Amino acid sequence: MSEVFIDGKRYEFEGDHMALQFIMDLGKEVPFFCYHPAMSIPGNCRQCMVKAGQYIKNQDSGEYELDENGERKVRWFPKMQISCSLKLTDGMVIQTQETSEEAERAQKDTMEFLLINHPLDCPICDQAGECPLQIQTYKYGPEGSRFEVKKVHRPKRVQLGPRVTLDAERCINCTRCVRFTDEISKSHQLTIVSRGAKNYPTTSPDETFDDPYSLNTVDICPVGALTSTDFRFKARVWEMSQTPSIDITNGKGCNIDLWTRDNEVLRITPRYNKEVNDHWMPDAGREAYKLFNENRVSRPSITLDGDDQPHTSWNNAIETFAEILEANDSENILVIGSPHASVEENYAVNKFFNLLGAPNARFVSHIVPGSGDGFLITDDQAPNTNGCRLLNIDEASPEALRSAVNNASVVIILADDLVGRGVLSKNDLNNPYVITFATNYSDTTRASDLVIPITCVAEHAASYINVDGRIQRSFPAKETKYTNRRLNLEMSEGRLDRYGTSFDNWVSDDNKIDCRPAWDFLNKLAERLGLGFSYLHSRAILAEIADQIPAFEGVSYERMDEENGIQLITEQQEIKQD
Amino acid sequence: MSKDWRSYEPLLIPDIPNLHKIDVYEQNGGYSALRNVLNDQDTWSRENVVNEVKEANIRGRGGAGFNAGLKWSFMPKPDGGPRYLACNGDESEPGTFKDRAIFEYNPHIFIEGAIIAAYAMTVDTIYVYLRGEYIAWVRMLQEAIDAAYEKGYLGKNILGKKGIDIDMHVAYGAGAYICGEETSMLESLEGKRGYPRIKPPFPAQKGLWGRPTTINNIETLSNVPLVINNGAEWYKNIGAETHPGPILYGISGHVNKPGVYELPSGVPVMDLINEVAGGIRGGKKFKALIPGGSSTPVLRADQLEDVTMDADSLRTAGSMMGTAGMVVMDEDTDMVDVLWRISHFYRHESCGQCTPCRDGTGWLEKVLLKIRNGEGEIKDLDLLLDITTMMEGRTICALADAAAWPVRHTINRFRDEFEARCKKSVHAIA
Repeated sequence: MSEVFIDGKRYEFEGDHMALQFIMDLGKEVPFFCYHPAMSIPGNCRQCMVKAGQYIKNQDSGEYELDENGERKVRWFPKMQISCSLKLTDGMVIQTQETSEEAERAQKDTMEFLLINHPLDCPICDQAGECPLQIQTYKYGPEGSRFEVKKVHRPKRVQLGPRVTLDAERCINCTRCVRFTDEISKSHQLTIVSRGAKNYPTTSPDETFDDPYSLNTVDICPVGALTSTDFRFKARVWEMSQTPSIDITNGKGCNIDLWTRDNEVLRITPRYNKEVNDHWMPDAGREAYKLFNENRVSRPSITLDGDDQPHTSWNNAIETFAEILEANDSENILVIGSPHASVEENYAVNKFFNLLGAPNARFVSHIVPGSGDGFLITDDQAPNTNGCRLLNIDEASPEALRSAVNNASVVIILADDLVGRGVLSKNDLNNPYVITFATNYSDTTRASDLVIPITCVAEHAASYINVDGRIQRSFPAKETKYTNRRLNLEMSEGRLDRYGTSFDNWVSDDNKIDCRPAWDFLNKLAERLGLGFSYLHSRAILAEIADQIPAFEGVSYERMDEENGIQLITEQQEIKQD
Repeated sequence: MSKDWRSYEPLLIPDIPNLHKIDVYEQNGGYSALRNVLNDQDTWSRENVVNEVKEANIRGRGGAGFNAGLKWSFMPKPDGGPRYLACNGDESEPGTFKDRAIFEYNPHIFIEGAIIAAYAMTVDTIYVYLRGEYIAWVRMLQEAIDAAYEKGYLGKNILGKKGIDIDMHVAYGAGAYICGEETSMLESLEGKRGYPRIKPPFPAQKGLWGRPTTINNIETLSNVPLVINNGAEWYKNIGAETHPGPILYGISGHVNKPGVYELPSGVPVMDLINEVAGGIRGGKKFKALIPGGSSTPVLRADQLEDVTMDADSLRTAGSMMGTAGMVVMDEDTDMVDVLWRISHFYRHESCGQCTPCRDGTGWLEKVLLKIRNGEGEIKDLDLLLDITTMMEGRTICALADAAAWPVRHTINRFRDEFEARCKKSVHAIA
């Protein structure tokens, strides 16, 4: 076991460690910009400087040598060391800014250099509020500036690609974005051009930054140089509330944060999970925020003559639903589960109709071979294919489903645009009575006779099992007409959520969708039909699943939260496939 | 200082017509060192060559002055993979133009030295990196290399010796000063942007394409055949005791006969200016000297009495040997102008990787421009000195130091001139 002395305290370590990461792992802080734990160490920002040295050991005895005061003798390194690339050795002494005035001075000096050519336009900069440069300037920077000459001017508002905008004047040349495209996404699209204070990252001439992971550079940019073209100027970070969730646009289940203001999801950023997505997520997953806000099914709709599909009341929807079920033989009810819906929804829907005597639900996976990239984009377009499989919902081919639809008198579709993705055609849905649980309008809802609006992943707590067999869950991030942020203990509250009132401009009821969780609607339907089916919360459904289905044994929301998801399928296990 | 420099006969660029032709070089004893080494590999084992060069104490002529043989001995044991020797002929430090003379007048002495170095370190590939502006000299060197290949000094089985395979390639940059920094040169050789690398790992462990690499200056390697032919003892007797050997002095500025002069190390500075370079132009008074390229601290005329051109004497005087590119300035020189021009150079050449250098060099230049334009204040001088301490020793490579030293020392040594250019500053004392 080797020892190292940091700010006068002794710590033990084994193996190779760089000082900066080691110090951060201790829960202490040294300011830095260019370092990123997932990428190579360029040591170029020079912010993480510490004073370092080595206790002198006597060659013969191996004991530390002492000076006249009985203190250990230190051989200090002649220069300040950048801690990010300072490898710990036995007997090393490190003084951070907490104990060394020289280190504090060196950090302050670097900060002064960083700021002289920075435009200091925080009031109009998107990064403000979550900007390492801003935060660390307040903590470690100098007061005021001695820079009285002209700042360097560099290109502004450069559209690097379809999703990323560059303001080169704000750039501090940390090269995180360049290293990201070199080492993580491997598109090699960005490079630093020009020299000295004039340099900034950009693409080769005539090349566009269309890397499918390009927006990650916006996340790791320690200043406001790279911003999301879509999110620019939409909201200040402190106005939004941040809620952990799961990416539902493909099978990987990247861990994400939903950023909401006034019950609108404004942006999606990746959340660190070493087992799934590390620090990253594909750009496509970020654009999913629109799915949560736009084109939503709000209030039930019922198809009258022709294509007219007016809204109707919840009571009428329940009544119509019940009448259809009563008028048809339960043998002829076809229930179609969905890899796009959660474990809880699939289970609840299947259970409800099983109780009525309908055959087991079926589902068609949504896999597009060749669309994945082996990193975070998968062939599987749905977040919960493995969930359907583990719930023993029958996996059907599109042909098998089509013939089943033709033989059924009632078809229940759970949140899956089967028409839109080409599994069924509109004509297939002409004969049976089609009831769809849907979050968004789609070709399938337009071909349905009754549309029940249900909550989406941003509105409910529910779990999804990714392509690697890991179960992870979402939290409600935006309110529906029937939920209340202050009563729901799981919902995050941003500053505006907490202090906004209906008399200001920021908080309104406009963005609340008139929808219910699928199981909640079924509760009401069960009441009408006199069926023994009632759940208070999706938590209760998962508890029942864990109790009933061996594959889910021991799974709970608490465990998922604690362990950042639970691996249900290990690689050796074969997934049941029909 | 041993013998009088006046009786010295040039060894690196002797006055022999057409020496750049391989036949002439051979007639004058060229490639005999290589022959001796390869024909008698028992006496000249790889280890013995390294030890002899280490013993001779050839101090790196690129500016740092590190013992070349010692540097060679840092190479790890061969593991069967490729190993490289990278020869630095970028010489982009203002005031430096000595390697050019070697490429032009005696390229084979460098090629021979490089081959011996490659043999000593079990290196199979030599890269020679020249600055892009030297395109004419790139061609001259390439002609010499082609001739050496033809004669069997390079390529497979050199001089018929089985297993001695050494190749030499010429590469040239696009005119960036930073590519003369050794690790940045490696990046450039790999076809990348010339950013200096963070050390450790040192090039001997991980150099070109992650393989063991030694980097030597052109002039340094040109000294190797001399050591092999005449022995370390002979070599150590040339010039200054702690910095032996011939030196190519590149003298420029306000002298009557600027140029490259080969003389032993340790020649008195005043002799070089007054006798070798023919004295100050127009009979003006000598004012200041930059002794070894623009980054070395400037010395006032009164600091130069009895100073000789070797590392120790110059350090005592308050400067450095650098590349021995001496810039001589006469009494009419405006030191504010000189310093601004030097700072302008370093601002332009900072690669932009490290914060203190990227932003510091620009800050220095802009404040100096302000002073040069007569708009500066006394406090700006103190600010400049402060900026230099904020930059020094805080970056990956030495460019920040190279930019900071001239500012600090020029202001300290010519402070009255700078103050005279500043506006009178008025401070109210309450």
